[in-house]
Amino acid sequence: MPCEWHDEMGAPDETGAPSRVRVLECWPHRSLPRRGFAAFFAITGALVAVPLVSVLGTPVFGFVLVPVVLVVGLTWVMIERSYRDADLIEELRLSPRRMRLERRDPDGRTRDWEANPYWVRVRLHPEGPVENYLTLAGGPREVELGAFLSPDERLELKDDLERALGDLRAS
Amino acid sequence: MADAAVHGHAEHDQRGFFTRWFMSTNHKDIGILYLWTAGVVGFISVAFTVYMRMELLEPGVQYMCTEGMRFFAADPGDECTPNGHLWNVLITAHGITMMFFVIIPALFGGFGNFFMPLQIGAPDMAFPRLNNLSYWLFVAGSSLAVASIFAPGGNGQPGSGIGWVLYPPLSTTEGGYSTDLAIFAVHLSGASSILGAINIITTFLNMRAPGMTLFKVPLFSWSIFVTAWLILLALPVLAGAITMLLTDRNFGTTFFDPAGGGDPVLYQHILWFFGHPEVYIVVLPGFGLISHIVATFSRKPIFGYLPMVWALIAIGVLGFVVWAHHMYTVGMSLTQQSYFMLATMVIAVPTGIKIFSWIATMWGGSVEFKVPMLFAFGFIFLFTLGGVTGIVLSQAGIDRAYHDTYYVVAHFHYVMSLGAVFALFAGIYFYIGKMSGRQYPEWAGKVHFWVFFIGANVTFFPQHFLGRQGMPRRYIDYPEGFAIWHAVSSWGAFLSFLSFLWFIGLVFWTLRYGARVTENNYWNEHADTLEWTLPSPPPEHTFETLPRREDWDRAHAHARAVNDGGNEGRSVPAE
Repeated sequence: MPCEWHDEMGAPDETGAPSRVRVLECWPHRSLPRRGFAAFFAITGALVAVPLVSVLGTPVFGFVLVPVVLVVGLTWVMIERSYRDADLIEELRLSPRRMRLERRDPDGRTRDWEANPYWVRVRLHPEGPVENYLTLAGGPREVELGAFLSPDERLELKDDLERALGDLRAS
Repeated sequence: MADAAVHGHAEHDQRGFFTRWFMSTNHKDIGILYLWTAGVVGFISVAFTVYMRMELLEPGVQYMCTEGMRFFAADPGDECTPNGHLWNVLITAHGITMMFFVIIPALFGGFGNFFMPLQIGAPDMAFPRLNNLSYWLFVAGSSLAVASIFAPGGNGQPGSGIGWVLYPPLSTTEGGYSTDLAIFAVHLSGASSILGAINIITTFLNMRAPGMTLFKVPLFSWSIFVTAWLILLALPVLAGAITMLLTDRNFGTTFFDPAGGGDPVLYQHILWFFGHPEVYIVVLPGFGLISHIVATFSRKPIFGYLPMVWALIAIGVLGFVVWAHHMYTVGMSLTQQSYFMLATMVIAVPTGIKIFSWIATMWGGSVEFKVPMLFAFGFIFLFTLGGVTGIVLSQAGIDRAYHDTYYVVAHFHYVMSLGAVFALFAGIYFYIGKMSGRQYPEWAGKVHFWVFFIGANVTFFPQHFLGRQGMPRRYIDYPEGFAIWHAVSSWGAFLSFLSFLWFIGLVFWTLRYGARVTENNYWNEHADTLEWTLPSPPPEHTFETLPRREDWDRAHAHARAVNDGGNEGRSVPAE
């Protein structure tokens, strides 16, 4: 699941001891790892060199080189663009008194939401707009979480989140 | 983050006809558009061949007269001067349209667009608007190709008669602007294919469902990806080559003119560097379709999935290092010829892996002779036959005798016209219910198959004999001695055309009156890729949310069922 939990030290509470903040980050799945990207262009580059080598030193070289470079370059740009289209992240910060959700969209826009974890309910809508739609209620408005994950992943995320909220309330 | 949208999500298709089909960014709609347009251009292209076979029915020239085209044979008393230019124009137009505007748009553009994103669980292509641009560039290219037939050309007549390979000096000295239009047509088609290929590569690489690693992707999607990759590597080279033709024609450059220090053979090298991968671009998507069809109607998973994938990749890579076997007779050194011979014969290995894997899939399966399976059998038989004559032609020595004879014509029609086209028909019968929501009548499809299978073989098999007798390609007329096999071949062509008309009628009948498809998967559980989990036809938006792994991964579903006790402890999945 493209989600990650980690702990951070938050601002000190009333007693002066630094509070522990649990942070959850989720992002959409992309199936091409960076290594795959590199491998693809290595193989493509090697093969596209075959015709270039065969016309090396002839006046034809430039006419073959230019379209080849343009096309391979465009592919590079487009795959980068496809990474950027999914460059969004949802970050949930859980501390005993405050729960804060921040979403950064591909266009750089950020939206946030804050609530008191005591009142927050994690709601699952199995039939919802999408299968196993996950929302957080109890804040100023009801918001969705992990709409870009798969239905099973959202189910798993719900359990994780409820456990984390439970721990928080118990402490 | 987005506010929750729990209520008010009833969505249905509210697009009007114009918005849906002319401004489409939906991969399924664009796929259907590709298929229709390719069908229209294909009809034009096939009509040309029927006219050519009419002319070749008997020795002498009866139809293509300088005095005017005829559709009924000239009486012996009538004046009829052979019009070789018209003949050459038809040959050229048939080649260009079939290579660039029919098979690739149908298999790669049509089926690739429609089914590749579905099979990998992507909501759409990575760049939907770019997809729309690809389609309309293809339409513009097709229009230019058709326009070039009527535009002023060489010999003071319309059209250019230079062959689809556009070899200089013939293509650089052809009069009029018809050749320029043809070159622009190929440019546009190339731009369209390249943009389409970039789109498909990005989608395939970056938008597969979670857990679907490269070697879990269905074979059809793999074949589309390898095709896209070949397009990406080969078409820019073609674009460069024909741009130089254009400057040679119009701006006085001499890239391919020995008088100015150029080299016409260099053009042939560049063209075939594109041209050989091109034939794999034509046929690879067909390989993908056939794999799914054979597995479905043998009720077995495909035999040797991994070797099948590597064979696709190997065919793609090897396709780039064999180009000069198209030009053994231009005067290459012995070493060069030996290399290209050997490299060419190596391709038989991955191709053999595919053919034997299909046969092994059928082996011990319960084979069902539904129409798509009949066409798949037809494909395997015809493609193998064409492949065997390919091995013959790959020998530089033998090629001296066969070069530019009907033997070559028979060979490449067996692999492309029969191979790729049978795969295309197999795909249409396999998927028409999924795409349209209506099913064809089984008997009518069988009639189409048998008439076409017999017709196509009667057309092209005798051409081997003609080639061995020494009948050269691209001639309007021939001596009496070749008459018998030319007549047989022509009658075969008329029979094939009849089956094509039958098919067109069948498509329209199916779309209008065909039985409605109510199930998601109207074949059987061995059609197990993601498109079969969707309704027929699929809704406008599919996989807006990622698919479940059990839907596409049989092994995974199996493990789940065993663990959940869903299949009562049996070790095979419940079927």
